Formats: sequence, structure tokens, C-alpha cells
Amino acid sequence: MRGARSKKIVLWSIIWFNIITLSLPTVIVIGASFTAGEIIQFPPEGFSLRWYQKLWQLDDFQPALMRTFYVSIICTLISIPVGTLAAIATVRYRFRFQKSIQVYLLLPFTIPLVVSGISMMIFFGEIRILGSLWPVGMALCIINLPFMIWSVSASVNALDPELENAAYNCGAPPVQAFLTVTLPAVMPGVITGSMLMFILAFNEFLVSLFLTDSRTVTLPVQIYNSIRSIITPDLAAVSVIYIVIALIAVWLLDRLVGLEIFLRSK
Amino acid sequence: MQRNQIIRTRLGWKLLDGIERLVSALWPARFKGSVGRVLLLPAVLLIGILVIGLGYMIEYSFHELDLSTYRLKDEYSLVNYAVIADRPVYMRVLNRTLLAALIVSVTTVFLAFPYAYMLVRTRSALTRKFLLIALFLPFFIGQVVRAYGWLIILGKQGLINSLLEGLGLPALNLIYNYPSVIFGLIQYMLPFAILLIVPAVAAISEDVELASEGLGANWISTFRHIVLPLARPGLIGAFVVVFTLTLTDFAMPEILGGGTTDFIASAIYDSFFQLSNAGLGAALSMILVMIGSVIVAAIFYLAGTGTLGVREQSR
Repeated sequence: MRGARSKKIVLWSIIWFNIITLSLPTVIVIGASFTAGEIIQFPPEGFSLRWYQKLWQLDDFQPALMRTFYVSIICTLISIPVGTLAAIATVRYRFRFQKSIQVYLLLPFTIPLVVSGISMMIFFGEIRILGSLWPVGMALCIINLPFMIWSVSASVNALDPELENAAYNCGAPPVQAFLTVTLPAVMPGVITGSMLMFILAFNEFLVSLFLTDSRTVTLPVQIYNSIRSIITPDLAAVSVIYIVIALIAVWLLDRLVGLEIFLRSK
Repeated sequence: MQRNQIIRTRLGWKLLDGIERLVSALWPARFKGSVGRVLLLPAVLLIGILVIGLGYMIEYSFHELDLSTYRLKDEYSLVNYAVIADRPVYMRVLNRTLLAALIVSVTTVFLAFPYAYMLVRTRSALTRKFLLIALFLPFFIGQVVRAYGWLIILGKQGLINSLLEGLGLPALNLIYNYPSVIFGLIQYMLPFAILLIVPAVAAISEDVELASEGLGANWISTFRHIVLPLARPGLIGAFVVVFTLTLTDFAMPEILGGGTTDFIASAIYDSFFQLSNAGLGAALSMILVMIGSVIVAAIFYLAGTGTLGVREQSR
């Protein structure tokens, strides 16, 4: 191969630059959370777990964490049936206005989050459900639904329709064919999609900022609010929780479907 | 044990038969043509919530704020749009946001391509796993936490300034300015861009590259004439997604810009929650939606829809 060495050097220097910029904040946050000092500084003042201990004693931290789990679970639970059915419909069935429907289903991506957030805040206010927690989960499901449809439709695309036909030919009624052939085949897409939905909802901040108040605030919003006033190491400790959950999600995704699923060509 | 299993299986079949009968009763065969539409219904209704909300926004944007009552006036007018066109501050914010979106999307796509390429082409499974994890971990950590990480690194008493101090150099102002917002956005967008470019690179057969090299091209011309043109759908897709995400971003300019570099989203937020002028905020939102759609449509028109195109399954 000609110039294979210079190719390697150029590509890998860009890649290493990427890896460092991608990982540096994570590494630094972890380091900062173990400081023994009152403020974050370098080099850190000794090693301690006091900020984690303090975190656990804070009144508003645990409820916020629980609320974040709650909205993420609602978001995921709604997205699984809704997204799976929509993905099967868009790939397997033909109907009129197919293109318009595809564009409609992508609306949550094309409408800016700040606009979606305020729009739903206005609507939820009008029908008097603003201030409850479940609408937040539903809103997070709406804004990320295309992710679910995308990952499931990738699996539906990979499933040979002849397999379903074979089930029908062998006498399986529609529901049985769906439950025993279609559903197991699209499972990897459903798993990937639900994990994405959960983790995105768990991290979502802008739409939640509009839909929550001081009684229903979720963790990302709370982190954002505290960043604005003063930087203390307890925020770093909260952030480490996010890093740990992201690690678990990456590990789970790799175990359940394999991260390589994202490397497929279109 | 075996008996139990038989009973359970039999029960399962009974149950399934029941569901089957129920479905066929509710869903006579002559409606078979509408199965697709019924499967779509929940998603259409769910997204309908967003559409209704948008309806309110459009409506609000045509009502002026009554300063005596702080409510929107009943009559329709274009005052809010006129105010936005009139005040130079909004033009400045718009230009700043558009420039940022352009810089961030070009840089991010440039940085993401080698990563995506190596992710697909590397022969070592270990390298691939490492690259995937380095990609997904930050992807799964939200924008707020990542911006906070940069605040610790770039801040006044942050990592870099402490290092400079150790070397006896003067401290630098690395946050609360435009470049820091751009930098934060680039590193936030990288995983999105890489994930969108990867499928396009995976679709390029390695043999094409080998053929090009076999015919005497060096790797730079192979990239320029073979790989990049073939990866174009992915590059366009990544460009469009990063561009629109940057155009509408709120957290990075707020956290790393610290109020010095407002983007359009910040202007919308301020209109609603600081000026309490929902009409003005709604009009700004409409302008943001329109600018975003026009630019995306223009890119799609000029360069094709890339990987984001509406695909139909081949049968």
C-alpha cells in the first residue's frame, strides 16, 4: 500500500484528538469529585469521599434522582409499543401519503427542542397537566420517538418478509405470526431503541426545564441550575452518577445486542 | 413437571386462540388493507400532542403583548415579527448562531470522518471496541454534565490555568466567550456525526480502495476521488444534523458562554421567561423553525438527502 504510513499518522492523530476531547471532561469530572477541598482546583486537595457523602445527605438530591428514573421509565414504556408498531407500519405497509407520514413522524427531530419544549409547556398548561410528572415522561418520549422508530425499522428491514409468509402458509393466524416470528426478529432493534430512549430521557434537560417546577425538578435540570450559581465538588459527584449510568448502558448495550450493530451499512 | 408444562402450553394455545378470535372479531378481514394505518395511529396521536402545542405557538406569535395587563391582545397583528426585524440585537444573535452552526458542522464532519473510517476499516476487534466505547460513553452522558466537565477544565481555576500558573505563565480567559462555546459544541456533536457517517463508510467496498491504490493512486487521492465521494450521503447527513442541532442549541451557549454569547434559543427563552412576552418568543420560535427548514431544504436540494432520505423498502 502506498503511503500507508502517512495515512496512519494523519488519521490516527485526528482520531486521538477526538478521543481526548471526548473523554477529557469525563476523566476530569471523576477526578474532581474525589477532592477533599472545598472548591475544585488543580492539583486536587487530597482524596476523600466527602462529596458523595454530602450528596446523599442533601434533601433535594434523592427525590430528583427518583423523579429522573420515573420520567425515563415512563418515556421508555410508552416508546416501546408506539415506536415498534410505527416502525413495522412504515417499513412493511404501503399507504397513501407515505412520504408525508414519514415527514410527520420526523417532526420531533425537525422542530427545535426549545420550541417543542415551550409548545408542550403551553399545551400542558391549557389542559392543566403541567406540574405533574408523567407528562414530562410523555414529552420526552415524543421528542425522542424517531430514535425508537429508526432502530426498530433497521431490524424490520433486516427481516426477510418470506419468513412471515412462511408462518402464514403453515397456518399461523396473524397474531401468532406476529408474536412468534415478527416480534422476536425485531427484538434487537427494540432493545437498542429502548436503551437509547431511557438514556436520552435520563439526560434530557431542555424540555424538562420547561415542564418541571421546583417540586418536580429532575436531575439534569437541577445540575444546570446549580452550575449557574457556583461550582462546588458536589456537582462533580452528581455527574459521576451520570458517568456510571452511561457506563452501565454501554456495557448492557454491548452485551445485549453488541455495539457493532451501529456499524451496519445502509 | 411435564404434565404442568403440557397444561401450560395448552393454556397458552387457548389464550392465543382467544386473542386471535378477539382480533378477528374486532378486525374483520375486509379491513385488512388498513392494518398499516392502525399500527401507525399511536405514533401519529402522540406526535399530535407536539403539533397541537405548535399550533398554540403559531397563534401566539400573531398577538402583541398588552403592556398594561401583560397578556396577549386579542386582535391579530404582525407586530412581533416587525419588532424582531427592527431590533439589531436579534440580527446579531441570528448571525452569531448561523456562523456557529457553520463552523461547528464543518469542523465536526472533518474530525468525525477519520474516526468513522477507522471504526469500519480497522482489522483489530480490540481497536474497534475501544473506539466504540470512547464514542458511546460521552454520547450517553448528557450535554449538561459534559459542559460542566469543560467548565472545570477551562475555568478560571481550572486544569489548564493551573498548569499555566505552574509554568509561571499568565492565566487565560478560556470560558465565557465564543470560541469556548464553539469548542464545547464540536465535542458534543462528534458522536452524532460519527454515528451518521459510519453506515456510509461501511457501504463502501474495501476492494474499490484497493483497486484505486493498485492503479497507483496514493491514499490522499484515493480519499479525494473514491472514498469521500462515495461517503457523501453520510457526510451530508452528518452535516445537516450537526448544523440543525447547533442552530437550536441552548445549553452550551448558556453554560460555556455564560450569557456573553446568546444563541437564538436563549433569545426565545428570555422572551418567554424574562420579558414575559410569549408573543415575541413565539414569533422568534417560528423564525427559528423557518430558517432551519429553509437551510435544510436548500442543502437537500443542492446535495441530495444523504442518509437521512426517506427510504422505501425494496421488494
